[in-house]
Amino acid sequence: MTVPAQTLPPPEAPPPAAPPAAAPAQRRRALRRILRNPLSAGGLVVVAVMLLAAALADVVAPFPYELTNFDTTLQPPSPEHLFGTDELGRDQFSRVLHGLRVSVAVGVLSVVLSLLVGVPLGLLAGFYRVLDPVISRLTDTMLAFPFLVLAVGLAAILGPSQTTATIALGVGGVPLIIRVARSETLRLRELDFVAAAVADGASDVAVLGRHILPNAVNALIVQATVSVPAAVIGESVLSFLGLGVRPPTPSLGVMISSAQPLFRDGPWLAVFPGVAIVLFTLALNLFGDGLRDALDPREVRR
Amino acid sequence: MTEQALEVSGLVKHFGPVRAVDGVDLSVAAGEVVGLVGESGSGKSTLGRCVTRLLPVTAGSVVIGGRDIAGMSRRQIRPLRRQFNIVFQDPSSSLNPRLTVGDIVAEPLRHHRLGTRSHRRARVVEMLELVGLGGEVTHRYPHELSGGQRQRVSLARALAAGPSLLVADEPTSALDVSVQASVLNLIARLQREMGFACLFITHDLASVEYLAQRVAVMYLGVLVEVADRAELFGSPRHPYTQALLSAAPIPDPPLQRRRQRILLSGEMPSPVAPPPGCRFHTRCPVAVDRCRVEVPVLRPVGPSGALVACHLVGDDGTAPALVGTADQTAAGGTGDSPGRAGGLHR
Amino acid sequence: MTGVPRPRVGTGAGEPVVAVDGPVVAAAGGPLLAVRDLSVRFATEEGAVLAVDRVSFDVAERDLVALVGESGCGKSVTAMALTGLLPGNATVTGEIRFAGKDLRRLSEGGLREIRGREIAYVFQEPMTSLNPVLTVGRQIGEVLRRHRDMHGAAVRRRCVELLDLVGIPLAARRLREYPHQLSGGMRQRVMIAMALACEPKLLVADEPTTALDVTVQAGILDVLRTLRAETGTAVLLITHDLGVVADVAERVVVMYAGRVIESADVDELFAKPAHPYTRGLLDAVPNPARHAEGGLREIPGRVPVLSHSPEACTFADRCPRADDTCRTRRPELAPGPTGHPVRCWHPLPDPAATPPRPRGGAR
Repeated sequence: MTVPAQTLPPPEAPPPAAPPAAAPAQRRRALRRILRNPLSAGGLVVVAVMLLAAALADVVAPFPYELTNFDTTLQPPSPEHLFGTDELGRDQFSRVLHGLRVSVAVGVLSVVLSLLVGVPLGLLAGFYRVLDPVISRLTDTMLAFPFLVLAVGLAAILGPSQTTATIALGVGGVPLIIRVARSETLRLRELDFVAAAVADGASDVAVLGRHILPNAVNALIVQATVSVPAAVIGESVLSFLGLGVRPPTPSLGVMISSAQPLFRDGPWLAVFPGVAIVLFTLALNLFGDGLRDALDPREVRR
Repeated sequence: MTEQALEVSGLVKHFGPVRAVDGVDLSVAAGEVVGLVGESGSGKSTLGRCVTRLLPVTAGSVVIGGRDIAGMSRRQIRPLRRQFNIVFQDPSSSLNPRLTVGDIVAEPLRHHRLGTRSHRRARVVEMLELVGLGGEVTHRYPHELSGGQRQRVSLARALAAGPSLLVADEPTSALDVSVQASVLNLIARLQREMGFACLFITHDLASVEYLAQRVAVMYLGVLVEVADRAELFGSPRHPYTQALLSAAPIPDPPLQRRRQRILLSGEMPSPVAPPPGCRFHTRCPVAVDRCRVEVPVLRPVGPSGALVACHLVGDDGTAPALVGTADQTAAGGTGDSPGRAGGLHR
Repeated sequence: MTGVPRPRVGTGAGEPVVAVDGPVVAAAGGPLLAVRDLSVRFATEEGAVLAVDRVSFDVAERDLVALVGESGCGKSVTAMALTGLLPGNATVTGEIRFAGKDLRRLSEGGLREIRGREIAYVFQEPMTSLNPVLTVGRQIGEVLRRHRDMHGAAVRRRCVELLDLVGIPLAARRLREYPHQLSGGMRQRVMIAMALACEPKLLVADEPTTALDVTVQAGILDVLRTLRAETGTAVLLITHDLGVVADVAERVVVMYAGRVIESADVDELFAKPAHPYTRGLLDAVPNPARHAEGGLREIPGRVPVLSHSPEACTFADRCPRADDTCRTRRPELAPGPTGHPVRCWHPLPDPAATPPRPRGGAR
């Protein structure tokens, strides 16, 4: 066979056009997918706008939320008071904006709290067989309680406030986070690169922190995006029940509850806060769904 | 007595009722490549993971660098891991997708605290060049690389700290043929240049014949034959070894057609309830009553001291020939050797 | 294989069926399956991907043709394209003539008639192809009842016959078992039995033994060999394993980056490969007879992912023999120095023209 002798192979050719995605490239592609899906893109936009408005409430709100004006009580929506006024003459638009801010703050902070507590517990439960039964039973016990009962209990102990609501919702959200973190850990620890890390001399902490946690982030992001709307609604419920934010700080839930007796005279008092809650949680849910689909790795094409 | 890089004695690994590894003795000398061959269910991968203590050991000893790591706690073993490492089969799951290639290769150096930051960077580049990738892949992520390139990264990682023993668990099985060749060549070259001992686990006989000096054949949790490469491929003794060699098709159609095939009945039994006596007797074409009852011992036979666990193999090395002619494998040449009338061959 | 006419390739005695891309592997008596200029394009997020690039080949009755290539060469896509099994984002062009009918012109209903009944498939993973909640007998029986309109005892008899045909012992008992009770090799045999239930004219086996152990693989390949003798079914075997090809194939079609680059009778392909890629593949497989030459031959670079058909040889940037012609003009499939078709501007010469290399040399 007179084939010319093979010389040293040249360096590997550059990667092909369509590599299987992971990590940063995956997020870019995920973003593209989200933006392409009208529902999730819409959700993202709405969420962004509302977050911005809520964050800048102090600047955007035309009136201070606690400013009463007995000359303009129970006014229907008008150019001056976009969402009308309540029985004390307070501008509803400003109150909704501030209420939204409270909702978002509690919603987001409580989920952060859930993550801070739940992720380590979930990682430990998934990684150490010994700890798993203990942590899982704990999770199951927590899940057995309707979260309102938990919240009520905490509020009774701590006294109703925005902080109480945040803590109560945070604690209530822990079991779900533990579940996700645990299942991701169980899945990831079977992968070869985790074994490779152990073989390289990684300590347990290093394995969890450098190899397992970073790869569990996607699933946790998705879960968080779904938990926040739940927490927002939770805050409304708590405040509705008088266990959360205290007046005069507006809370969307409180606004809805105090609008009940006045519904005949001023339906706008209930409508706008209600719509705000629904819109925000719906948008977050749609975005979260889109995010979950987008981050779902289209598995390796050989 | 050459120094042994790895000495396994009486290794047992049970997962509850599943007796994955049921008493294995195996040693790998310093700088030697030993091939561990078996089909799925043989326990070879489990053995590999036990040897590197990625799995706890049920019983037995694993001596590396003079220390028995079988009974040690994870904390005790960690510093010793500098001396041995492992590469895996699946390129898509053996690299952390969140780390760059540079980070991945530097892992053993970091964990064992070897060198300063700049030393490590240099070593990473050195290793990457050694495996045939340029230093420029340092900042790439695994998904940007092909399967073959990823396996090279795995090798660079496993060898970065200069271990004396490398366990390679099916490193080429998930790769295309042409890529397999380059990885096999690479392993051969690295082994020659760096001098580490290698336990090469695979089901592919051809690559074992290419790389290994000694070959061990595993069946259902135990070793059935251990011999030098030439001897194992030229005159396999254990019936399972013969069947295995006969079954692996040779890419040479006229030769392949001429070969007599040994077709085994049934499939490998479950490791939960291995057959009594010789585990292979349920599929062995030449099993006798003794095989069903008495467990054969892995013992040296013949002038070379090859190890075989079979009642039908004589101490002098004579073994039952399951096919008439000697040309079961390409190693036997192009056949046309005078056919022996069945019976025994040396 | 007595009495079965072996189609001669590239001898000019067969007539090209259609004037295409060079003389086609024409089989005596008209081929059972004639694929002409088949192209498959996928619309993906990253753009268009040309998976199959004007592929043409034949499968004669009772033939066993191996479609060989590494991953990404388009062989599986080709197999799926035959009966329209590709996903929605695939665009298929070209002609697929099977037993006289143009499969590309059939409606989905027409294709469904063909699938299973005349062209049957066996895939790589038997566990996911078999329904885990139905017994083996039920599944094979269903095929018989639906496609062959058989009932009652006749079904049972035929099931036992089929299991015997594929070498499953104690067939009657096996019928009552569930897939999970069977080993991988057994399941694959059941898959083949199911595929044969309708006595198809063509069996398409896509990597049927890749997931199996080598001793089990030997048994399955044996089944494929014997079933042609006993049932007259032609087999199109998709594989990347040259050992498997050497074991069972009669003719071989080699694919690379979506194109057919060489096709020949199996003996000739292995002994006298004309395309440098084929040569590279053969050299990459460890074969102790060649150990003396030192080292396994590597093919540098990677299989390209193409979005369109380049006006060049797709192997050029990995080929030691490439020159400017190769990079600027698309080679056609034409008879090479050894007589069989090859798609190359500089095919390897016939080794018979050079002194033969001693085989099985020094060890």
